[in-house]
Amino acid sequence: MADLSHDDVLKLARLARLNLTDEEVAEFAGELTEILHYVEQLQAVDVAGLKPTNQVSGLVNVMRKDEVVDYGYVPKELLKNVPKVQDDHLHVKRMIG
Amino acid sequence: MLDKSVLDQYTTTIGIECHVQFKTKTKLFSAVDNDAREAPANTLVSHIDFGLPGALPVLNKEAVHLALRAAFALGTEPQKFSKFDRKHYFYPDLPLGYQITQYDEPIILGGAVEIEVDGQKKTIGVTRAHMEADAGKSTHPTGTDYSLVDLNRAGTPLLEIVSEPDMHTASEAKAYVRELYLRMRYADVSDCNLYYGNMRFDVNVSVSKTDELGTRSETKNLNSFRAVEKAVEYEVKRQIELLEKGEKIVQETRGWNDAKQQTFSQRSKENAEDYRYMPDPDLPPVVLDNPYIEKVKAEMPAMPDEWRERLSKLGSDRAQTDTLLEAELDAPEVNYLELIEQNIANQAFAKQLANWFVNIEIPARRDEKVLNPGKNAERLAFYQAVYELVAGGKLSSTNAKTLITDVLAAHAYPQNVAQHAEEQGFIQVSDEGEIAKVVTQVLAENAKAAEDVKSGEAKAIGFLVGQVMKASKGKANPQMAQELIKKQLGQ
Repeated sequence: MADLSHDDVLKLARLARLNLTDEEVAEFAGELTEILHYVEQLQAVDVAGLKPTNQVSGLVNVMRKDEVVDYGYVPKELLKNVPKVQDDHLHVKRMIG
Repeated sequence: MLDKSVLDQYTTTIGIECHVQFKTKTKLFSAVDNDAREAPANTLVSHIDFGLPGALPVLNKEAVHLALRAAFALGTEPQKFSKFDRKHYFYPDLPLGYQITQYDEPIILGGAVEIEVDGQKKTIGVTRAHMEADAGKSTHPTGTDYSLVDLNRAGTPLLEIVSEPDMHTASEAKAYVRELYLRMRYADVSDCNLYYGNMRFDVNVSVSKTDELGTRSETKNLNSFRAVEKAVEYEVKRQIELLEKGEKIVQETRGWNDAKQQTFSQRSKENAEDYRYMPDPDLPPVVLDNPYIEKVKAEMPAMPDEWRERLSKLGSDRAQTDTLLEAELDAPEVNYLELIEQNIANQAFAKQLANWFVNIEIPARRDEKVLNPGKNAERLAFYQAVYELVAGGKLSSTNAKTLITDVLAAHAYPQNVAQHAEEQGFIQVSDEGEIAKVVTQVLAENAKAAEDVKSGEAKAIGFLVGQVMKASKGKANPQMAQELIKKQLGQ
């Protein structure tokens, strides 16, 4: 496994909406590369015939009835967690031109 | 403008992704009302839809049920094992930072939809269909530097149906989305209200001169069958023009401007790995057992293809059958399909009934001109009586149409249809003596036309028949009139 490049880290940061300084990029390139190398060791293990573990709970079919449930609060209260509200809408940076 | 000889060098390839909104009462993962059509902003929301820390999504059982019905509607069986994954991207209408969807183990794999274009049947493959949660709705007030987000729609259950790239023309694309619409409506999976975005289409289009596929564009969020057709036409033209100029097609997402009937560039497409899919640890997998699958299969109503098969004995064309299939959805209580089927043993009547539905009753209902509150049995008996009058040569098809139109708009069906038709002056005169009198009169008044017929001008006879019909106020049997004209002119 090749080491993570400066550009790889910048791309990951962009996808995660993180703004990194050059020093941070260098720092994370090192740390993430180490993690990749660790995973590389795991990949050496023969797992032929094993199903991937997507869930550790062992549960299946956890479902609810199609009925409205009163969660015990006024839905609009949720807007109190939003940084900026206008006319009961979330006010965000313009998305399109 | 591109020359046809240039266009013909290219093969177009089209694949379509269709988002269908399930008609559940609540959202996919939260027990919140799913009907966001008229609700005030951010009133149909919960901690789950907002993605608050610790919120636990729980799958709506009815969404799974409807996904099974969709599987059968797409001509396949549901997958016994499916799971949910997180698709990561950041956008202001997606508070979780990821969309909950099904990546590598969706509930539907495979399927097929048969379409017909210009009399040619063709099967369009369905690659897969998966359940996923919708995002919120954004508005962009003009002249401002911000957008506003309403999360009422966030978490609405969708089924994304992905087709194989099996379509090659805009007409095929349109036929495919219409057929999906019909199937989802007949399966009662979705209201498919296009106005409210219950069904939205993303269209992938590429063109190529070789066997290798060209670079594709994806035009997103089309909300009508016509927009699908027009967007394909536009993209084919745009791409060929670029290639002919020696330029390259960029793989990108495009939007559709309905007013301009044009697509426009939105953003370059992210690669699948950029979404960093991972299994959602909050949602245990869905495992279906045979008894449940069989139970849902058994409850499925007849799908459009089955109706087409059942009505095929009538020999009517697909367009006519599809008009009936669509009308049935608008007014199921009217039972067009069942009434026709009940009478299919009497083929001539069943065929006439289908014609009257398509040409008279369906348009009349659309125009809200059917006021008759009579029961379906009375309506059928009325049509039967009208049919007998027509078959017996007592009622012309023109007068039958007027009679039917009037009676559908009336407050009741006539007790005695023959008598009613007589009173209305619709009954055709088939008495040779009476018609002969009218013919003699018409020939005397139209000596020129009569001469033309004698000298072998076939067109003139049609004119004379028309005159006889006019003189008899539409009551003369036109065939008899024609024979008598010929006879009197010694032809």
